[in-house]
Amino acid sequence: MTTRNIPTRRTALKTLAGGAVAAALPLSARFSHAQSAAPIRIGFQQHRTGIGAAYGRWYGRTTQAALEKINADGGINGRPVEIIAEDDGTDPKRGAEVVEKFANQHDCDVVLGPLFSNVVTGSAPRAGELKMPYFVVSEGTHVSSGALNRYTLQPGITDVKSQVIAMAPFITDTLGKKVTMIFPDYGFGYDHRDALGPAIEAQGGEILAKIAIPPSETSFTRYFPKIPRETEVLYHVMVGPAVLTFVKELGEFFGGQGPELFGFIDSLEAVAIDSPGLQFLEGSHFWEGMCRHRQPDESAHETTYRAAVGVDARGASVHDASDVSTYGHMFGCWETLHIIKAGMEAAGYRDTRDRAALIEAVEAMEEIPESLAHPQGAKRFNGRTHQVFGHQFISKVQDGDLARVHTTPIDASVYPDQVDYTQQAF
Amino acid sequence: MPRLGLSAIFMILTAGAAWAHASDPGFVLLLPTDIYIAAGGTTVALTVALLAVLPDGAAARVFRPVALTRLPAPPAQATSLVMTLILLWLVWRGLAGSRDPMANPLSLSVWVVFWIALVSLQGILGDLWRYLNPWTGLAAMTRRITGHRAPLRYPRGLGHLPGVLSFLAFAGFLLADPAPADPARLAVAVGGYWAVNMAALLLFGAPWLLRAEGITLLMRSYARVGLFARARGRLALGLPGWQILARPAPPLGLAILMLLLLGSGSFDGLNETFLWLGLLGLNPLEFPGRSAVIRPNMLGLLAANAALIAVFAAALWLGDRLAGTRTRLRVLACRYAPTMLPIALAYHVAHYLTSFLLDGQYVLGWLAGTLGAGHVHVSAGFLATPGTVRVIWMTQAGVVVAGHVIAILLAHAIAMRAGHGTRGAAISQAPIAIFMVAYTVFGLWLLAAPRGA
Repeated sequence: MTTRNIPTRRTALKTLAGGAVAAALPLSARFSHAQSAAPIRIGFQQHRTGIGAAYGRWYGRTTQAALEKINADGGINGRPVEIIAEDDGTDPKRGAEVVEKFANQHDCDVVLGPLFSNVVTGSAPRAGELKMPYFVVSEGTHVSSGALNRYTLQPGITDVKSQVIAMAPFITDTLGKKVTMIFPDYGFGYDHRDALGPAIEAQGGEILAKIAIPPSETSFTRYFPKIPRETEVLYHVMVGPAVLTFVKELGEFFGGQGPELFGFIDSLEAVAIDSPGLQFLEGSHFWEGMCRHRQPDESAHETTYRAAVGVDARGASVHDASDVSTYGHMFGCWETLHIIKAGMEAAGYRDTRDRAALIEAVEAMEEIPESLAHPQGAKRFNGRTHQVFGHQFISKVQDGDLARVHTTPIDASVYPDQVDYTQQAF
Repeated sequence: MPRLGLSAIFMILTAGAAWAHASDPGFVLLLPTDIYIAAGGTTVALTVALLAVLPDGAAARVFRPVALTRLPAPPAQATSLVMTLILLWLVWRGLAGSRDPMANPLSLSVWVVFWIALVSLQGILGDLWRYLNPWTGLAAMTRRITGHRAPLRYPRGLGHLPGVLSFLAFAGFLLADPAPADPARLAVAVGGYWAVNMAALLLFGAPWLLRAEGITLLMRSYARVGLFARARGRLALGLPGWQILARPAPPLGLAILMLLLLGSGSFDGLNETFLWLGLLGLNPLEFPGRSAVIRPNMLGLLAANAALIAVFAAALWLGDRLAGTRTRLRVLACRYAPTMLPIALAYHVAHYLTSFLLDGQYVLGWLAGTLGAGHVHVSAGFLATPGTVRVIWMTQAGVVVAGHVIAILLAHAIAMRAGHGTRGAAISQAPIAIFMVAYTVFGLWLLAAPRGA
């Protein structure tokens, strides 16, 4: 592949900004300069059924909106883009089968991957064997940890480890230095536990207690007395059907007199923050990947993005205000599709023989400016670890609104490389 | 690093989108369901007590139907033939149409239109399947054109056994197959099932459908709970269950199938719960997908059905001994198995209500798209709104309790007819009544339980 279109960092970056120019072209001119009129085929591994279906629905809408924008702007390299969606059932084994289908039945050029990390880790080895570029939007640290392969990239959304690390300075500086963690007693909770402790200690803070809750628990009152009295910040990352019960019981336990609460919006994605029963969250803080509620200084790009994906100022569907989106995560699909476009254009991508060149083009990306292609904000891609880094937002619940009170710099979320995928052969 | 936990709230919010899964307890867990469940169980218990003091024949009287019209039943062959064409078209779309199960008309038709809606309507209204099955019209037309008569006789010794196995295979596909909604996979399953049964119908004639085809057995069983049926040449209307009293007891194979409807439906609810996942040693917040539970779900399906049949038989046997009548267990089972149908139907309706409300929107979306009627926004907002979640749960609970009350009334009326006096009926029914109260509580608990699959 080395003889074909190896992109330079410069061409990769130039292409990132290219969409705006294409958008100005008249419709008739948009696909006309392509060498081939055949569409670029992107396989979309979607959580259509199974436990990830709500995320799948909004990931689907966002992907569709991005597709329409990209095609309206002239497609990729002047060629129209097609999305072929297959249901992975939120099932790792089916995820791998779907990747195979994209390669062998649907002749896809690349695959846009899903959210649930078990599906990503189940599918990535097969994508590597099939030499299928696999762009995932899962937030998992499995990409940057080195557990996957050169064909798997996460250029559109930051990973949990970087999110947690970036939160620590705000927590210790603003909320308090004595932190107690409550987390579910399995991998997801451990990731938070293992990343937050050192980060808090590095800021001169202290983890007073780590309270692990069995995943099958549906009532939490008996765990609250374990929270040390001197706790200043309670860091909670509960998930699952019982998370609303957790919030309610926590509120009843402290009666508004407890420590500061800090959580991740993951717990309440697609749930209105002003829902009855959640009033105890008033005054508490949340990490948000992208601010669900429109902020006073919202960028024009984000406003356009909101309209394109069909959500209102509170992050709910414009068709139904009770249908709250997965706003904190789904931008990853929009941004990843734009990275695929930029990468393909930088690589001069023509067909599947250029897949390696595409990956090298994406690996060559570094600074990604904020734009309509990247409405969540500027980012920095690490080509060695295949992971993007970006700004994180901290919002406070005020009168039932999520008001952003802090934006972390990109540097705050960076951690040392654990892998260099560019050393792996294609 | 399982970022899976991320969306665990959605196990709640939208498992509905997977047809085999009804949805979601997030807000349900905030409802005082313990109180509602106790109230439901008490209602059924009070029905039992009331029957013991009401005059003889009171239960039977409520099931007396009203005759409506003498008009003959409309012919069913033309509609069946149309259904055959639709089915074949759907199978083709399954193979060649959208890969998205929420946009493919085969997946939507089988799991939302047929399995959720039509099965419910069959049980509520009566025998629609007579008009909508995809076999009898084509068989009649073949007979008319070729003068062909079934060349083989259905082996009577097999009874309903092939039908029972065929239903279990369907339930296994629904509950244990890794991808029952995948359009291509479903097309092969549906097309193959249709073709095999079409061929068998032509070879063996009508007895095949009535004894060996599981879906027809399921539909004809549920039709017995329907409001409408023909009796003495007239269309008649009565309280759900009236037909069960009006018709003779089913043969043993069919009686077992009726129990399987309830057992399989109950397992359909159970297999999603934290309790079941805990039994399998799975983290309910990190469900590994249907591929990982094929064998446990198959075994669970069989075990749930076996347990239901055993408990049901034990309750009947014990009641018979208490009343001192010494009836054969086989006779008792055939006599009382139809009284389980209202419970099975009620649970089917309740279990799939949220799925129907969510996935039904995809059906509308497909229709609107096909007819060029614009965009239908599929919203799961009603599942994230406490008010509607409460209304939905109360509706589900009301349906389940009503199903059990009807079952109790039916069982009492059947016992009275069997020659027990009011007191004898009450005694013979005591174990089965306790079973039904317990089943009410179990059914309501299933609707309120946290789910992770």
